[in-house]
Amino acid sequence: MIGLNGSLSIASEALSAQYAGLEVANNNIANANTPGYTRQEVSLSSAASLQNGVSVDEGVTYNGYTSVRDEVLNLEINAKTSDNGSLTAQNAALTQVNTAFSGTTSGIGASISKLFSDLLALSTNPSDPSARQVVLTDANQLVGDFHQGAAALSSAATSSDRQVTSTVAQINQLTQQIASLNGQLATVTGGQQGGALEDQRDLLTTQLAQLVGIASTQTDTTPTLTTTNGSPLVVGNTSYALQVTTASDGTAHVLDSQGNDVTNKLTGGTLAGAITMRDSTLPGLSQQLDTLATQFATAMNAAQASGYDANGIAGTAMFSLPTDGSSAAAGIGVALASGASIAASSDGSGNSSGNLQALLAVQTTNLPGGATPTDSYANLVDNIGSAGAQVSTNLTATTASLQQLTTQQSSESGVSIDEETTNLIRYQQAYTAAAKVISTLTDLYTVLMNMTTGAL
Amino acid sequence: MRVDPNLSLILSAGMQGTEQALNTSVQQLASGQRVAVPSDNPYAAAANLRSLAASSNVDRYTKNGEAALSQAQMADSALSNVISDLMQAVTLGTRGADGTMNSADRASIAAQVQSVLSGVVSQANLKSNGVGLFSGTASVTDAFVADSTSPNGYTYQGNSGVNQTTIGDGTQVNTNIPGDQIFTNSGGNVLGSLTQLVTVLKSGTTSDIADATAAVSSAIANVSQQRVIYAGTVNQINAQESYLSQETISLTSQQQALTGIDTATAITNLTQAQIAHSAVLAAAAKILPTSLLDYLK
Repeated sequence: MIGLNGSLSIASEALSAQYAGLEVANNNIANANTPGYTRQEVSLSSAASLQNGVSVDEGVTYNGYTSVRDEVLNLEINAKTSDNGSLTAQNAALTQVNTAFSGTTSGIGASISKLFSDLLALSTNPSDPSARQVVLTDANQLVGDFHQGAAALSSAATSSDRQVTSTVAQINQLTQQIASLNGQLATVTGGQQGGALEDQRDLLTTQLAQLVGIASTQTDTTPTLTTTNGSPLVVGNTSYALQVTTASDGTAHVLDSQGNDVTNKLTGGTLAGAITMRDSTLPGLSQQLDTLATQFATAMNAAQASGYDANGIAGTAMFSLPTDGSSAAAGIGVALASGASIAASSDGSGNSSGNLQALLAVQTTNLPGGATPTDSYANLVDNIGSAGAQVSTNLTATTASLQQLTTQQSSESGVSIDEETTNLIRYQQAYTAAAKVISTLTDLYTVLMNMTTGAL
Repeated sequence: MRVDPNLSLILSAGMQGTEQALNTSVQQLASGQRVAVPSDNPYAAAANLRSLAASSNVDRYTKNGEAALSQAQMADSALSNVISDLMQAVTLGTRGADGTMNSADRASIAAQVQSVLSGVVSQANLKSNGVGLFSGTASVTDAFVADSTSPNGYTYQGNSGVNQTTIGDGTQVNTNIPGDQIFTNSGGNVLGSLTQLVTVLKSGTTSDIADATAAVSSAIANVSQQRVIYAGTVNQINAQESYLSQETISLTSQQQALTGIDTATAITNLTQAQIAHSAVLAAAAKILPTSLLDYLK
């Protein structure tokens, strides 16, 4: 028996416990659409004590609330988010490049075809000045297309380079915020949950994972975030800023807080995606374009040298190439001053088309690279397309996978309005009932009091 | 197990997916192309470029064939005129060799043969697009110019160069025959025999005239032989043209198969995308507004 006072105490505890339930439901509903919020559950347990060998029920105990989150799932989401960030950065650059190389009736491929087509036309009337001029115009068009192709690749590389700098700035901002939240969470009383603060930290950590691949560890009470190669980003309430420095080649390199160059060691996230594009994928494609420009120009120049121009003078180079080792595709130019300089003649006579066969042979002869000019360009387009398709396919897969994980996370931690409405009713009814108990106990007290005063 | 309560997010993702499919279908139908950028299908994009380069060549081979054909026909027609002229000269020479003719008659015939000679020379100097048909590969005003010191009466200004035009992969045709091979060939000298005939008609014997006339006949045989070369060129070009037109069709269908849409498939895709999109929208309209609160009065 716990008596009237004990019962009143139980009812009072019940009021507090049910009210706590209402508060949690209220908070969940308030944050139903808050990004990163994990639903909270009130933690209640039945109170009991042992008195003289008998278990005595003492109502309900409110133990606080817990946020429903799955740390392992969060780690998976962060890893997948890093993959997604890297692929998104690569996809953006490659989409830009793919669009630039999508031309079928224009662009390098079409211009090579047109140049040879008009050289073929010249063979029917080699002394025709207008036909010669058309060939010269074609050569200029081809050179312009090489320039545009080189510019598209270098522009994508420049964008990626800028992305490296801006991403590092965002990373540093996020790590500062995470460190600050760590500081606040460290002051939370032992055993209690950080609640919304932890939610905010998890959200910022996922945003950080989008920018760079991270590894997360928790030693004792100190949460630590590092890049995947181990460079510290956040240790407890201290953040370690990454730095950007301009390397000798003019590109932005990333240094960790110790000043070590970690540019090529980073994986995952926008940062690693942009670095991969800038330092690996795009230079590979640029080199292929440069090789095509160099080998094509050299072959055409050699064919020119074997013939004579319209004035019977030995043929001179059709194309000029940069001599300072810079990009051939960006620096290629037309060296001929006029259509008359096209070395169509094989014997010096003005109406001979004999050497056009040598010029035309360039179209069907393998360049030193092992393919004809058209095939070499088609191979380049194939490589550009394959790089784009591969990244795009992986991005689609990662996005789907990330969506599944997010759905899983949402199914565990998301707020359901229906569920919270049910909880509201549940706690409201229990609260009303507890209040009724108090009202009843008050009546009983009144009866007792009246008994003592003889009012009954 | 608890389910994801954020139906709106799931529906948003679904709508984005169906909108993307709808967008792709419409784009493909509007452009007629399945491959808009190389990454859509790298192999097809590269193969299409190779095929387009081949098409460009086939187009040019066709045009080259047409140009070479026109040139060959023009030359053939010129040689046909030359043969007619030469036959007229033979007729005149035969009449001049008749012993009943007096010198005044022969002088008159000589004048007619001279006129024939002028006609032949004008054919020999014929030009196509400003370029002599019979001057080899040399850039000269006229292939043949009068030269009294030459036994032929004319000097060849051209050279022995022969130009070729490509009318197919590895297929070339000769577009000209050097003028000296036709008009001053030792095996049948057109200009030499006519000049000689004019000379002997003015001052030679009937026997000289008969010999000169025979030489003109030999020249006819030579010109006829040269015409055969042009006829061969014309035949070769005609055969090639029919092959090229077949090749054009084949390449066009190859390009269509590589990157073009199959209209029926594209329309089916569009219909499917429309249905899927409508379904997601209908689901959203039905589910999103519903909550437990609607039933709590």
